[in-house]
Amino acid sequence: MLLLQLLLQGLQTGALYALTAAGFALIFGATRIFHFAHGTAFTLAGYVFLFGFTGGLPWWAAALCGIAVATLFGIAMERLVYRPIQRHEGSFFTVFVAAFGVAVVVQNLIGMLAGRGFASVDTELSRASEVLPEVFLAPVFWIAIGVAVALFAALSAFLTRHPAGVALRALAQNPDLIRTYGLSSNRLSVLAFALGSALAAPAAILTAMTSGLNEAIGHHAMLISIAATIVGGVGSLRGAALAGLMLGVAESLALAVVDTQWAEGVSFFVLFAFIIFRPSGIFGVVQTR
Amino acid sequence: MFGPLIARRALLGTALAAPFIRPSFAQGSDPYVIGTLFPMSGPNAEYGKLFTDGVQLAIDHMRAENLLRRPVRVQSEDSQALPQQAVIGMTKLINVDRASWVLTGFTSVSKAVAPVADRARTITVNGGAVGPDLERLSPYFWNVIPLAHLETRAIFPFLIRRDLKRVALIYVDDPFGDAILQLMQREFPAAGGTVAGVFSIPRAQQNFGAVAARVRQARPDAVYIASFGAQQPQIIKGLRDNGVRQPLISYSGINIGSVLSLPEAEGLIFTSQKFDFSAGDALTRRFAADFRARHGADPAIYNTNYYNGTRLFALLAAELERENKPVNGDTLRETLLRIREFDLVGGKASFDEHGSMTAAIQINEIRGGRMTPIAG
Repeated sequence: MLLLQLLLQGLQTGALYALTAAGFALIFGATRIFHFAHGTAFTLAGYVFLFGFTGGLPWWAAALCGIAVATLFGIAMERLVYRPIQRHEGSFFTVFVAAFGVAVVVQNLIGMLAGRGFASVDTELSRASEVLPEVFLAPVFWIAIGVAVALFAALSAFLTRHPAGVALRALAQNPDLIRTYGLSSNRLSVLAFALGSALAAPAAILTAMTSGLNEAIGHHAMLISIAATIVGGVGSLRGAALAGLMLGVAESLALAVVDTQWAEGVSFFVLFAFIIFRPSGIFGVVQTR
Repeated sequence: MFGPLIARRALLGTALAAPFIRPSFAQGSDPYVIGTLFPMSGPNAEYGKLFTDGVQLAIDHMRAENLLRRPVRVQSEDSQALPQQAVIGMTKLINVDRASWVLTGFTSVSKAVAPVADRARTITVNGGAVGPDLERLSPYFWNVIPLAHLETRAIFPFLIRRDLKRVALIYVDDPFGDAILQLMQREFPAAGGTVAGVFSIPRAQQNFGAVAARVRQARPDAVYIASFGAQQPQIIKGLRDNGVRQPLISYSGINIGSVLSLPEAEGLIFTSQKFDFSAGDALTRRFAADFRARHGADPAIYNTNYYNGTRLFALLAAELERENKPVNGDTLRETLLRIREFDLVGGKASFDEHGSMTAAIQINEIRGGRMTPIAG
């Protein structure tokens, strides 16, 4: 029963990792911008939801506020930080440092405004009850799985059927061709940041209910996103989502055989294994030189 | 004929010597620098605020009482509760700011900065870390908090009396957590208990659902949590949300706002040094009243410890000023070892030959979001 419990726990954690990682992969895949501040969008969404909900807003309104703030943050980063840097042909390193700087500033602002410490949403949804002997499950498990499945289905439909989604995929493959067809790569880039940042918001909202938030939580979200993007194959959205899910399940299931100390270490063991044995990731294309 | 020439040379010599004369005058009015090496950012920043609030109140009281002839300046460095950052901060406090007295916390940080303090002979005072091996780090490293071996030992008889004989330990993988693990494994069986399981966690871990599953499997009567910072409420919520219904036990580090306000922390039992803010002496009553007036809440243990840590400097330096002796690490230490007993918040505080404060321990329970003494 311990294995089943750990598997369920891993699926819940993995669903949240998948959503966060897919957002990062969407942005990176479409724009090739290493958006280190993606974790900051996660943190902002979580705190806005928390303050909205504890401030008396209905849960759905608080959630919409969280998603809106994350989306606006993503758009603002693209328009006000990355685009000016790229206009001056800033290097990858310049982009990274700028994003890192924004992440540190926002983290400190959140610390000043929301207090430096743990914060969580008190809800019955996160309280587990015994569904089978020795197996505990909280309603938030079904919400996490349901939200992840619904959002991936919607995103897949958008990317394959909607002209803007198809254009986003094209931007990832050949930005010059986009311009040849009269499409604006700048607008598509904004769309990628808006969608990618919005994807992190549900994961942040569910995290606020389960393990809680602190102003530095974005670093962990970012770490998992990078690991999942590499394991899934750089540029592959479904790869990042699957890898996120896999990392969550792996770090939970590992506890059946290793000490609790190594739970998160398992994620990075998986990452190293992929870097060494399959550097292109699960769905990545092998590059030959 | 030589008169004007000698006068000019004397004037020139005096002018050249002036910058070298200045420090001897300036020293008398230069402020004493109290360095603080607290986590002001990152997941442990909540402690930095608690510690600093205590220091600030002590400084204000010290100024109001005119305890010292020279002014006092507080210089803050952010340790982030990380040893590497702390050593950088400590080096700056000693070499650049010329701190006379440094306040710090966290076991790993304390162990990292103690050798620096020892080399520079700068008194460094811990009011937050409780690792038992902080007792003899250096003659210049003191503690104004009872260390964990005193706190944890004090709860063993209580657990046995309540028939909580099988205890699972969740401990953070750092010097503090390791110290609690060793103490638990060595002394709890001797007190009549059993360590039902030990679960080590990294400092950065935030999700405890899977750990809760392992804890449930160990079937303990109670769960002891040895961690600190934002991780503590996450552990408590993780355990309670995932079906761990047994009593939760911890040490004084759990007494922070984010734990007290957590509904899942209701009923948590923890040890701390003994304080009675209402029935105490005049100093204790003034501290409690002024703290409430300033922050609108009762002082926490850490507010008190860092108030005491700061006030101890004032008492020792005032004694040295009375004796017209220089205020430095050696003279402060000599004075501490000579006097040994001081009026601090909470009553008379005694220091042993290693500079560690001894205090009675009480057992508390979180009831309605407040720390309520229940034994000791």
